[in-house]
Amino acid sequence: MHRVLIVDDELDVRDAVKRVLERAGYTVEAVESASEALESLRHTNVDVVITDIIMPKVNGVEAIHEIRASFPRVKIIAISGGGNFGITAYQPSAITTTAYLAAAERAGAHLILTKPFESSDLVRAVESVLGVGHA
Amino acid sequence: MARLNSSFARVVAAWVIGLHVILLPALYYAVGYVIKTSHEDLFVENARTFARVLADEFELGVAMESASRTEDLLDVAIVHGDGRYAELIEGVNSTRSKLNSPNVNVSRSTDLHFDEDGDDVYFVVLPIVHGTRNAELRLGFDEQPTLERVHMAQRHLLWLLGSYFGVAIFIAIVLSNRLSRPIQRLQDVSRAIASGEYSQPLEISTGIRELHDLAADLEAMRSELVGVNLRLQSQIREKEASEMRREELQKQLRQKQRLETVGTLAGGVAHEFNNVLVPIILFTDMALQDLPERSAARADLERVLGAARRAKDVVRKILTFSRELGDSKLTAIDMRAVIAEGLNLLKALGPPSIEIHTEVSDTIPAIRADATLALHMVVNLCTNAFQAMQGSNGVLTIGLRSAAGHKVEFWVQDTGHGMTVSTVERIFEPFFTTRSVGQGTGLGLSVVHGIVESFGGIIKVESEPGKGATFRVFFPAFSEHADGSVGLGE
Repeated sequence: MHRVLIVDDELDVRDAVKRVLERAGYTVEAVESASEALESLRHTNVDVVITDIIMPKVNGVEAIHEIRASFPRVKIIAISGGGNFGITAYQPSAITTTAYLAAAERAGAHLILTKPFESSDLVRAVESVLGVGHA
Repeated sequence: MARLNSSFARVVAAWVIGLHVILLPALYYAVGYVIKTSHEDLFVENARTFARVLADEFELGVAMESASRTEDLLDVAIVHGDGRYAELIEGVNSTRSKLNSPNVNVSRSTDLHFDEDGDDVYFVVLPIVHGTRNAELRLGFDEQPTLERVHMAQRHLLWLLGSYFGVAIFIAIVLSNRLSRPIQRLQDVSRAIASGEYSQPLEISTGIRELHDLAADLEAMRSELVGVNLRLQSQIREKEASEMRREELQKQLRQKQRLETVGTLAGGVAHEFNNVLVPIILFTDMALQDLPERSAARADLERVLGAARRAKDVVRKILTFSRELGDSKLTAIDMRAVIAEGLNLLKALGPPSIEIHTEVSDTIPAIRADATLALHMVVNLCTNAFQAMQGSNGVLTIGLRSAAGHKVEFWVQDTGHGMTVSTVERIFEPFFTTRSVGQGTGLGLSVVHGIVESFGGIIKVESEPGKGATFRVFFPAFSEHADGSVGLGE
């Protein structure tokens, strides 16, 4: 049985993802920050980490870097809603969510999923990074 | 020159006339007096000499010998001496010439003055001593011829002075006119200049050097003024133009700032919404899986899921506006191909009551854009035009041509209801719509704006209520520089 760790600062998002994946047969642990996620990774054998990008304290891109460095076997899915975060929309150099997702990909995320997504998208994404076909 | 309304010519004429009115009578009287006294002196001298000669003849000759001889000699005085009266008195006897004028007033025979008492006779009385005899010779000379000569000379003098007076006035008037006409012209010109009329060159012809120099100076001043004025006018025009450019730029800046603010806000809202939509979609999905096939709640939850998916689309459009364009890649594209593809879609979408015209130039430079987004822009602008012409016949014109400044101009024109200025100002704001609720999201044109900006273009709207609307989009023409970087025109 594969073990999935979901990292998101939004309780509803966390719970929804957890419930969907549990239904699909995964063991899911949900945490609300990158530091908790790293702590959890040290103690449990996690196969997939699903992490939000925009989070307080340590953001998703930094978290991905650390996970890739410390736990190279773990698959990573980066998720984020669109939009920008106080950075002027018309500055071409502005770091937007798209840019964050691109950065997440460069940092080593195996898959990018934009919010909002359907249950089937989520399950397919996890299966895809685990390399399992649909049963 | 105390009176300001006196013209130069009048003043000169008045002075000339005034001087002559005083001086000419004085001259006339002075010269007349000289004429009269000189004639008088000559007359008196002649009369006395003649009388002396006659008296000598009586004293030394034989005339006293007989009365007839006396009478003959007295006749000589009348005939040869211009006499009017001749008489020789000896005691109580008196001999008179027979040629004496009858109307001579003898009582005035002691009149020893010329031209006195108006009797025209000048008397000379001389004592005669012939031997022992004593007598008195009385001769009256005619003053009339001399007086006539005096009067004639005086009349000549009067004519002469009168003619002189006339000529003097004529010359004064002519001279002052010659002076005053160019002065008048100079005055008119300087007044015209003072009142701002100085476009005409000065044309003053005068033979008077001072006036000619003055006119030349005035002309130099006038042409200098014309130059200064032209410079000022062009400076004012430049200033006005730069002021207008500045206002236009400020307006654009305000518009941009407002759209940026709205865009930032929209981006933030979109992010929050997406986070909210995740649990809605996922939990609804799971609830649907738990419900039996034919359940009332299932239909309701499917509505919830449908609404959540529509909300997802709305958020995507907001993100397009706020430049969250995903993985859009800008490459060189041919707008003609985009328009051709758009026309295929529009023929299916557009109401049959609307004619679609195209005005596409043959040679158009490529632009740096994303083909899918460009198509999105074309379709959105045309959909907006269809909606503006809803319920009536109309013409939609799609155009494409090269524009000044190395640009490509794309335009969409409709014959719809048009817009007010305040509508035009807000037309690109997200959720701004003039249509009733449910007929559109109000996002179409804000998405167009986001797309145009992402291609480095600008969009302009020309519209008046009732006169349709034209949306003009200007894209920088695509060109590759030597260093490999991509230039965007200006």
